[in-house]
Amino acid sequence: MPRFSALAEVRRAMSEEGLTCEQLVQYYLGQIEATASLNIYVEVYAAEALQRAREQDALYQADPSAVGRLHGMILSHKDVICYAGHGVQAGSRILEGFKSLFSATAVERLLAEGAIFIGRVNCDEFAMGSSNETSWFGPTRNAADPGRVPGGSSGGSAVAVQADTCLASLGSDTGGSVRQPASFCGVVGLKPTYARISRYGLLAYGSSFDQIGTLTHSVADAGLLLEIMAGPDEYDATVSHEPVEAYADCPAPGKPLRLAYYPEALEHPSIQPEVKAAAQGFMQQLEAAGHTVDPVAFGLLDYMIPAYYVLTTAEASSNLSRYDGIRYGYRSADAGDLLSTYKQSRAAGFGPEVKRRIMLGTFVLSAGYYDAYYTKAQRVRRLIKDRTDEIFADYDFILMPAAPTTAWPFGAKSEDPVEMYLADIFTVQANMVGAPAVCIPAGTDAAGLPIGMQLMGPKHSEAALLGLAKALHGQ
Amino acid sequence: MMPYDQYETVIGLEVHVQLNTQSKAFCGDSAAFGGAPNTHISPISLGHPGTLPRLNARQVEYAAKLGLALGSKINMANTFDRKNYFYADLPKGYQITQDRKPICIGGQLNILVDGAVKTIRLHHIHMEEDAGKSTHEEYSPYSLIDLNRAGVPLLEIVSEPDLRSAAEVDAFMSGMRQLVRYLGISDGNMEEGSMRCDCNVSVRPKGSMALGERCEIKNLNSMRYARRAIAYEVKRQVDLIEAGGRVQQQTLNFDPETGVTAPLRDKEDAHDYRYFPEPDLPPVVIREEQLRSWHQEMPLLPWQMRERLSQDFGLPAYDVNLLSEDPAPARFFEQLAAHTPVYKAAANLIINKVLPWCSENGVPLEQFPCPHAHLARLLHMIEEGLISNTAAYQQLFPAMAEQPSTQPDELAKALNILQNSDEGALEAWIAQAIANNPDEAERYRKGKKALIGFFMGEVMKISRGKADPKATQALLRQKLG
Repeated sequence: MPRFSALAEVRRAMSEEGLTCEQLVQYYLGQIEATASLNIYVEVYAAEALQRAREQDALYQADPSAVGRLHGMILSHKDVICYAGHGVQAGSRILEGFKSLFSATAVERLLAEGAIFIGRVNCDEFAMGSSNETSWFGPTRNAADPGRVPGGSSGGSAVAVQADTCLASLGSDTGGSVRQPASFCGVVGLKPTYARISRYGLLAYGSSFDQIGTLTHSVADAGLLLEIMAGPDEYDATVSHEPVEAYADCPAPGKPLRLAYYPEALEHPSIQPEVKAAAQGFMQQLEAAGHTVDPVAFGLLDYMIPAYYVLTTAEASSNLSRYDGIRYGYRSADAGDLLSTYKQSRAAGFGPEVKRRIMLGTFVLSAGYYDAYYTKAQRVRRLIKDRTDEIFADYDFILMPAAPTTAWPFGAKSEDPVEMYLADIFTVQANMVGAPAVCIPAGTDAAGLPIGMQLMGPKHSEAALLGLAKALHGQ
Repeated sequence: MMPYDQYETVIGLEVHVQLNTQSKAFCGDSAAFGGAPNTHISPISLGHPGTLPRLNARQVEYAAKLGLALGSKINMANTFDRKNYFYADLPKGYQITQDRKPICIGGQLNILVDGAVKTIRLHHIHMEEDAGKSTHEEYSPYSLIDLNRAGVPLLEIVSEPDLRSAAEVDAFMSGMRQLVRYLGISDGNMEEGSMRCDCNVSVRPKGSMALGERCEIKNLNSMRYARRAIAYEVKRQVDLIEAGGRVQQQTLNFDPETGVTAPLRDKEDAHDYRYFPEPDLPPVVIREEQLRSWHQEMPLLPWQMRERLSQDFGLPAYDVNLLSEDPAPARFFEQLAAHTPVYKAAANLIINKVLPWCSENGVPLEQFPCPHAHLARLLHMIEEGLISNTAAYQQLFPAMAEQPSTQPDELAKALNILQNSDEGALEAWIAQAIANNPDEAERYRKGKKALIGFFMGEVMKISRGKADPKATQALLRQKLG
């Protein structure tokens, strides 16, 4: 079985060589088994995926033109996205044994086009982490070097694609959780415009930042999946009603584009020299293709991470209140009365990073501190939005590495949460302003670890963004 | 002189009104009262992972209509906030409410106390969702949670501290209940919890302008409890001040068993709700034209209806009060009045026959089976002397309610109650009545004129009620001499 890197290749093999969905699922199940030591999957839907594959094959045999646009698309989904009748646990003990009663809108739309879900994959607990080390199920390992982290929080999704256990994976991105692991694992990571895809069925972390995204080998597949998932949904009041464009076949840019980069990002003390060099090489590639690349001072980079963590933890502290041991999930055996049920269940059900963020968020919303933290962070968010709009008035896209470094060894940053938070410094801007951004592979460092470059565009510029990304990535 | 006389009571209210929308505030579950526990629920109202709120537009409409009726300023861009606290009947761990920008600002309700009108100003009205219901059973280590009510839309009406007595609180609550019923936005039923109030009570020396320290009495779910709680609390505060103490601002619970208010435990009182903007709901913008059309759809409000009944139809105050307490009788009267000019008789018929019939038969007034035109015909038959008042009320009306599609004239004929003013028959009945009672006839002739009533009764008996009373009396006088 060849290693497929786009659905179009799968479909070609089906029409020309008689490849079936069942064979494809069998292949990926074999891959899952072979990579078990990477700890990618929390649950594998083997029997069910095979059954659905046979049904899809029967449809195809009856009439190859009658199948959905995602016929042959074998997907995994991050453990924060609901699939009716299946477990969803957000990598946390607190949701032990919980099964969702409904499917996320995104999942329903993919299923309706013939996609097959093969399993749900590991992630940082409640998507809070940049290394996959906070999962209750233990960390997923980077397939490029199992001694290193896959990035996070959608680390399981990135490795699932990297290790060829599925063709694509659904992740979620609150501050870089799709793009940073994509960068660490050498795959394509797309975070669409905020509200482009309904959040219904996505377990909330920071509601005004969260967005479902994709991890794929090709930009074309990222566009195809987006096109199918995007659009109005009566179950999400915040969802965008902007028209959904033909993201699946975005053409390469038809004219020279103007790109901006932040010199202060490339000069940032945290940046690894090889990442900087890769960025410079990327810029040369762009210029060679006729585009202009200008240095632009952003000026607010140092405020990004503090404001982001104040706002997301505030929302998280409220969003995670529902996990209380009363109605579903984990309840401590020591629970007695109501208060002890809350205290014991939450104390044992949540891991240390989640507790840290709940406490931080509770603090910044408390009477007496609200204005100093929450209100101020909201003002910073506004300033960052305004500054970003100014840049997009003059430039089509902003170019940055997706992360300051390549994947680090397990435990390297676990002692210092602030250092860990800084790993998101280049990705957070897109979530702060709700803009789309894509990470594409851009070579490797001396140790052979993948480097990723990020392109960010104004809201709802996915078509042009994917067009450029496809031209640069080659597929 | 009693010290209590030297103090003035100051009360501000927070009234919660449950809206009677079909579905809940932020999901499609039924919002109906009752139902087997935990049957009006869904993943959304259970706060399952991944769910999001979807606003019920009816809630906004109802809130705006109440604001329009009360003369509030309507906030055109509405935002929602989260109020965070943990409780077993609050599935999400937060309540969606409006903290920063309530939908209605200001406004007023005029209340009637001891025959005088008093204006109570409103601070604001905001939208929010209800929590579920907890039942703490005695002798059981468990509490029972029913989430049918979780997410039912509420309006919270916050008054200025303009009320001065329990009687005014009573009048305010009655006035508000009447208004929400007229608007059709709530059943206003305190017993079912559709209306609840928290009272902020303080006292101050008479003549003082400064407000005293206030205590909030929570969860008063009947007017009787509210009256008792206020009386108890006023006495407690005055006694405390008279004894040289100071009232401390706190939240109190009223125990109907003991009649005593007591502070909620510190832990429950020390809530920091950590309000912040609800990120899952974008601002809800009300368009000018929408507001205008809601204004135009507004029914007659209670005070307008009272005016109409007394001015346009000339009804006495007693009838006006009885008919306008709830919107249905007043509207029924308006419809009946469209078919007849005898307004007073129409009011009597509704009050004495139609309303009792509906309550006896458990039929809502709107579903009273008989067409208004038939009821009007009944009134006209009395007016024209075709049937007696008594026969109309006691025989024809019940028959009409039973056979609502049959014409009243036909029914009266079948019942054999059409009055006979034919002199021949009448003369025969009178002759027989006199012949049957020669002694009484003799006494009448000797001056005992009061016996005319006796003979009227006899003629009615013989004629089986068909004799026209007026004609009978005239002819009797003549025949008895």
